[in-house]
Amino acid sequence: MYSFLRLSVLLVGLVVSAGSYAVKAAQPLTTADDLGPNVEQPFEFPHDRHAGDAADGGMEINCMYCHTYARRSIVAGIPPVQKCVGCHQNIESVREAPRIKKLFEYWDAKKAIPWKKVHDLPDFVRFNHERHIQRFVFAQGKPVQEACGYCHGDVKKMTVARRQKPLSMGWCRSCHMKDHRIDATSTKTSQGPNDCWQCHK
Amino acid sequence: MIENGFNRRNFLKVLGWGGATVALSGCGNTSVEDGREFVTSYAETADYIIPSIGTYFNSTCAQCDAGCGIMGRVREGRVLKLEGNPESPINNGKMCGLGQAGVQAHYNPDRIREPLLRNGDRGEAITWEKALELINEKVGSVNPENVAFLTGVVSGHVKALLNNYLDALGSGHHYVYEAVAPSVVRASNKKAYGVEMPRLSMDKAKVIVSFGADFLGAWVSPVHFSQQYARFRKPDNGERGVLVQVESKMTLTGANADRWLAIRPGTEGILALGLINSLAAAGLPVSEDVAAAVGEYTSDRVSKDTGVSAEHIAKLAALLKERSPSLVIAGSAAEGYAHGSQNAAAIALLNQVLGNVGQTVEAPSSVPFPQMAPSTGNSFALQSLSDDMAQDKVKVLFSYGANPVFTAPAFFKLKENLKKVPFKVVFAHYMDETAVEADLVLPLNSAMEDWATLMPEYIAEGAQLNIRQPLMEKMYPGTLGVGDILLAMLKQRRPDEYNDYEDFYSYLRSAMVSNKDALGGADKDDDTFWETALSHGVVKLVGEPVNMTGSMSAAALVVPAPFAEDATYPLHLIPAVSASMRDGRNANEPWLQESPDPLTTIVWDSWVEMHPKTAAKLGIVEGDIVEVASKSGAIKAQAYLFPGIHPDVVSVPLGYGHEAMGRYAKGVGSNAFSILDPVFDNETGELAMHETRVKVTKAGQRVIIVKDEGPAGGSQMGRRIALRIPSNKVNLSEEV
Repeated sequence: MYSFLRLSVLLVGLVVSAGSYAVKAAQPLTTADDLGPNVEQPFEFPHDRHAGDAADGGMEINCMYCHTYARRSIVAGIPPVQKCVGCHQNIESVREAPRIKKLFEYWDAKKAIPWKKVHDLPDFVRFNHERHIQRFVFAQGKPVQEACGYCHGDVKKMTVARRQKPLSMGWCRSCHMKDHRIDATSTKTSQGPNDCWQCHK
Repeated sequence: MIENGFNRRNFLKVLGWGGATVALSGCGNTSVEDGREFVTSYAETADYIIPSIGTYFNSTCAQCDAGCGIMGRVREGRVLKLEGNPESPINNGKMCGLGQAGVQAHYNPDRIREPLLRNGDRGEAITWEKALELINEKVGSVNPENVAFLTGVVSGHVKALLNNYLDALGSGHHYVYEAVAPSVVRASNKKAYGVEMPRLSMDKAKVIVSFGADFLGAWVSPVHFSQQYARFRKPDNGERGVLVQVESKMTLTGANADRWLAIRPGTEGILALGLINSLAAAGLPVSEDVAAAVGEYTSDRVSKDTGVSAEHIAKLAALLKERSPSLVIAGSAAEGYAHGSQNAAAIALLNQVLGNVGQTVEAPSSVPFPQMAPSTGNSFALQSLSDDMAQDKVKVLFSYGANPVFTAPAFFKLKENLKKVPFKVVFAHYMDETAVEADLVLPLNSAMEDWATLMPEYIAEGAQLNIRQPLMEKMYPGTLGVGDILLAMLKQRRPDEYNDYEDFYSYLRSAMVSNKDALGGADKDDDTFWETALSHGVVKLVGEPVNMTGSMSAAALVVPAPFAEDATYPLHLIPAVSASMRDGRNANEPWLQESPDPLTTIVWDSWVEMHPKTAAKLGIVEGDIVEVASKSGAIKAQAYLFPGIHPDVVSVPLGYGHEAMGRYAKGVGSNAFSILDPVFDNETGELAMHETRVKVTKAGQRVIIVKDEGPAGGSQMGRRIALRIPSNKVNLSEEV
């Protein structure tokens, strides 16, 4: 009886581990898109209107005008409400739009807007925005929207941001294994870090 | 019954396979949790606030009364870690372990969150309005003479408010109580040097002889003294200083000393006089009356009385004569006796004979605002309060910054005397032993949520006023700062004067700004001055060195002969003040319970430290639960054998043995305060903490002591890791 129990526990263990290993092994190093879930936000923020191309009616605002912490900190951050209001108090044309009314409700109450995280890595992973922005935007001179877009997709075409990429380890590695030029003028290249502890806490 | 079933071996097999399964399947993409958590965001924020990057704010440590400046690292609105404030001359950017645990006082789960009013044996939550109204009513209904305030050390604007409140009542009953304080030394210093706490320039001294002052661990201002000590040990130029520690129980400072001399308890004064005698014999010029006073303290007699060998006395005298200036310090081991004042006076005389006064014993600076200077406390104050309560002279009692029910020895009968007070208000962070006895408990802000100014007793350079400011928002909306409570109470008495101030912050700001000329801000506008003060955390004041006008009369100095043997209670009890636990006020911070005692490495419990020889005589081995009984009571704790203690002495650390306070303090260890005998210093009336005589008996049980030290009792098992030679093989005059 007990040996049967033991055997079954071991078998189950084997099957589960083999199965999960197969899943892991099948995961390719890919840049393929992997659409995340729709995240419901307090109100819809039109990224396309703010950052989109002028031809599409966008304002072509630099990502880092609002996500100002990206070049200075681990996180890109959400701008304080005062930044939204800084512009919008002078834009009378949309002042009565429902989303803007919502914005001013938060501002009048001096409350932060409870935005949800759209790109939320597991707690054991450290991803540093500053390093990536400094390398790709400031050293290599890549356009900001392209650099941010490596991970965040074409946000300028979205309203509420939605995850476009898998953000899995294999996916990170697919880029870290490529040769990247060390700056705009050099022909020298280097790869992204390969050490476990660079990303894993 | 399961027999022969899922045994340990199979359990481990399954555990192993299960573990491998988890490891192989890993943590997949499922942990990308889009849309579950909120982003940290603000309505308005300063430019320097960057998410995930810490901002430092300066404040003042509240873990002990040394008044070190701290910087709190604040990230996303939460204080994470404390560092020393480099601008504070007291600690110059350094900090101790006790201070580090300050965040645990702030985030402590056992903090009281709303005012509690006694209802039978329960506390019932009430509003602040009701609590303050109740105070107004009770204070108004009694003779002001019967209102008493018991506090710990108070200084700065809180002290000013407190004094104004007492003034408004027309009563002067403010008892300042410190359970563990150098109060006899203060009184003796006042006599000898004209100041209670002279500035000790250890870095200028070439020899330090410390009579039981644990200045690296728990004495007065340890972080400051540690830095002075480092410069004394490794001066920029000149020789490495020599530290000789004379005490009956080894302290952290004793463990760092070049020479640790185990002295028979209470004979510190005799040794000091003996040293003067030896110095005079060696040709050091001493006045005639001093020579006459110490004439009979010959090396042989002193050696016999103190247990310190004549050879060591001669070496010590030679060292002191050869190296000048030196510094002699009287610490808690010297002052804790009925003749503590005489011991301290003898030690002060030694300093004077050596010519140290004015050299290494220097004048502190005067304080420009005496109304904000610290009121230091002593145990005599508690004694007087206890007597007053016993005689029904106290009708309304306020208690702040003290936990007398825990720290008063049992013979005080404080708990019973407290019951005679009809209305007791306790300002508290935790439901400690005193708060449990209260009729009204007022929950305080933590030091990381509070506004205050503080003036420490021991200031390293000039004079200074420390700022304490909130490092984050309040954890609980129902707590208040002590300043806010006092201000609200003052509004009841003097509305015209205080109604303009919305809260303690506005009072503090206006009081500081209106005095900015004297606070070094004459050339700044109000806002700039205030912002500067807050960003520095310290306001440096200009003070003149006070005159050291003490007088020492050698003729009046009488140091009694050593203790007679006591057949019933043969051993001396030394209640030890450890660097982490002190008087037990921080016992509910688990880091402090968890950090090993520096000498014994014991954690989370009390212990009875005794010499291996004494233990052998009593048949005690390590881990035996022993009963330590004095005339006044008995406690039980585990025995720990330690060679760094005089064979006639046992030592139990203070601060353990709480019956209340919180989940980390309650029931851990035993309270050594409770068994202290009613013996007092002859001159000051201070409780003589080291006078208790005890007997130690085995209680029958034996436990494994939880300690960091290895199971072999700290032996190196033949591996020559840290080489050592026996102390009697060290030639002090050559070695050091």
